[in-house]
Amino acid sequence: MPKNSYLPWYFLPGTTHYYENVLLLNKHSDRQISQYPVVDHHFDAVVVGAGGAGLRAAFGLSEAGFNTACVTKLFPTRSHTVAAQGGINAALGNMEADDWRWHFYDTVKGSDWLGDQDAIHYMTEQAPASVVELENFGMPFSRTEDGKIYQRAFGGQSLKFGKGGQAHRCCCVADRTGHSLLHTLYGRSLRFDTSYFVEYFALDLLMEDGECKGVIAFCMEDGSIHRFRSKNTVIATGGYGRTYFSCTSAHTSTGDGNAMVTRAGLPCQDLEFVQFHPTGIYGAGCLITEGCRGEGGILINSEGERFMERYAPNAKDLASRDVVSRSMTIEIREGRGCGPEKDHVYLQLHHLPPQQLAVRLPGISETAMIFAGVEVTKEPIPVLPTVHYNMGGVPTNYKGQVITHVGGEDKVVPGLYACGEAACASVHGANRLGANSLLDLVVFGRACALTIAETGTPGEKLSPLKPNAGEESVANLDKIRFAEGTIRTSEIRLNMQKTMQNHAAVFRTGDLLKEGCDKMDAIYQSMEDIKTFDRGIVWNTDLVESLELQNLMLNAVQTIHSAEARKESRGAHAREDYQDRMDELDYAKPLAGQEKKSFDQHWRKHTLSTVDIKTGKVTLGYRPVIDRSLDQEECSAIPPAIRSY
Amino acid sequence: MLGVLVKRVVNRVYQVVLRPTLACPVSTRGYKGEASDDSRGDLIEIPLPPWTEKDGETMDMKRRRLLFQSRKRGMLENCILLSLFAKKYLNTMSETQLRQYDRLINEPSNDWDIYYWATEAQPVPNVYAGEIMDLLKEFTKNKDQEQRLDAPNLEYLDKGSQ
Repeated sequence: MPKNSYLPWYFLPGTTHYYENVLLLNKHSDRQISQYPVVDHHFDAVVVGAGGAGLRAAFGLSEAGFNTACVTKLFPTRSHTVAAQGGINAALGNMEADDWRWHFYDTVKGSDWLGDQDAIHYMTEQAPASVVELENFGMPFSRTEDGKIYQRAFGGQSLKFGKGGQAHRCCCVADRTGHSLLHTLYGRSLRFDTSYFVEYFALDLLMEDGECKGVIAFCMEDGSIHRFRSKNTVIATGGYGRTYFSCTSAHTSTGDGNAMVTRAGLPCQDLEFVQFHPTGIYGAGCLITEGCRGEGGILINSEGERFMERYAPNAKDLASRDVVSRSMTIEIREGRGCGPEKDHVYLQLHHLPPQQLAVRLPGISETAMIFAGVEVTKEPIPVLPTVHYNMGGVPTNYKGQVITHVGGEDKVVPGLYACGEAACASVHGANRLGANSLLDLVVFGRACALTIAETGTPGEKLSPLKPNAGEESVANLDKIRFAEGTIRTSEIRLNMQKTMQNHAAVFRTGDLLKEGCDKMDAIYQSMEDIKTFDRGIVWNTDLVESLELQNLMLNAVQTIHSAEARKESRGAHAREDYQDRMDELDYAKPLAGQEKKSFDQHWRKHTLSTVDIKTGKVTLGYRPVIDRSLDQEECSAIPPAIRSY
Repeated sequence: MLGVLVKRVVNRVYQVVLRPTLACPVSTRGYKGEASDDSRGDLIEIPLPPWTEKDGETMDMKRRRLLFQSRKRGMLENCILLSLFAKKYLNTMSETQLRQYDRLINEPSNDWDIYYWATEAQPVPNVYAGEIMDLLKEFTKNKDQEQRLDAPNLEYLDKGSQ
């Protein structure tokens, strides 16, 4: 439609209007009109995100005959899952006798009793079958000499409910488990005609009457808008590490799914639980895998002491990640840190035979050299606890359905599912064990596909959608594209990252958190004054990074407010002013004669946070932890206890 | 029994034939559990659709696309390395160089491979060897010892601020 030509009389300034499948936005200031061609698609299922969880869901759905679309801002094999080098936990019992109930116990304990035991039961019971299934799909797991799948030790995994020593449950594909998972699932899904929309940035969910009817996205290649209409939408967009200044995540981890859910008015769960991986390279934040410690690497302080022996006498360097991170932070704060600023500790690998390093831990040498200038066969690597994983996310039940909590009851949101790091089932609770994440991806990716297949049929007719659905998302896109404020995107982003790093890091205290909340609220408001410089619509990286910043901002405010409100220490959320766990009973003392605290008085509950998008105000609510397993006969739930390693 | 042996021999021949030609002997890199190497079975038996060059793109569009694709990678190491590399070289690359770079960062399916080639931990397959690969390897060495703590902000592209 030509500029300033004959416009209908009702086309007033500041309005939007669909004209022959083209969305026209008439600006307030001048008569310039932005045009966004809109294309509508109909699918049986739409998956947002093509990492391990997204691909598993898309593959499962396509295999079940559903016409599936997978919308992703990255090429599938370039999703952050590719960075995973650890492996997948499963109680196959190839290295020693094993039982999935022991894995269940380890995961419940690892979650510091914040994990929902029905979901954990589901995940650990399905684990062996899932690994065998992946093997059948073509993943070439590393093998023992007898040809069985090789399994290695990983932090927090034990035998006989913690009494039988270290378990060896982690299955891997050489050092490229993540890549192999992506490659295998992507390749197989193509045989079932999954439609991939690569380098499409998902903007928002299309919600109507509390039901999710699809997703609206924009194509980076030509700037067109696409509405993917579907009865079933699966969110698998990953975590949001990039809210912090130093994290191990790629620059793609921007919490897009969490933000979409927040903008739809739905709650996010447990966002205050951010896992700090003990060994991120000091400075750049690149990850040194836990596998190093699994192979014999040790953490030492400025006195050359293997300090983990004091904090975790049994597991030592292979204790759970939150325990190791906290121990490292205590060492640094008590003055035994290394380096000129005494602000990090060392990971020592040079006592291991160089051959073992080269063969079993490739990639470590390069990363250490390039980002820390260190030769691992001679010197230790400077490391610091670094943001690594988000236990929180979109709340779901064990079937992968997104839930809200209304009137004291969990209520399913029709048409919406979530899996992977973006979801909070919650299997990781307050702290995730290493190598449980890849397991989470495949089990719950599959669970979403199974639930959709159970509750729907391919080819079902879609309910009608309002013709202007999604126009607010496009208006927002347009606003950001032409933003002429005074503060650059990179500046706002840095402010947010530094604030989160300083105020919501490993150790948190009330005053620091409160200050951080106020600062974050101000930074949220500063988004109104954002300044972008690229006005194009095709391959506009500035626009994409600014939209990602909007998403990160929503995640950040919820994280810090939830952390400030939670007055206890549990799992990865450690507070100096409230150092103990506050459960309904004091599990450090004998239970007989104790009175149960009411729901309002204890903290063994999930946080549910929502945000008023205009003001940035965060509202918090709570929901109980599910303490029953799926089947008490098969696997009894584990009652809370004090957690020591 | 004979069938099994024949199958093994055929698989082995298949693996050798389909392995990309390397400039140097195959490195023994790879996690060895107790015994076998990475068999690359998934890569051989589940081939992905081959990468193809995009038609009809202007040089300017190519640069814009490659900028996005340099900054958004699978792991942090590549995000930092490639976005710094793009900041230094992308806007002055010739058409041939752009096409080489396009192939290098978009064809390999495992982002780690690009990292291993850039850091010279693994030999570069012939198809990627060339001017851009050499530039990348040299850049990775970081002879000027500049601090490489994070990917650069985009504002170096903002002509208005200069």
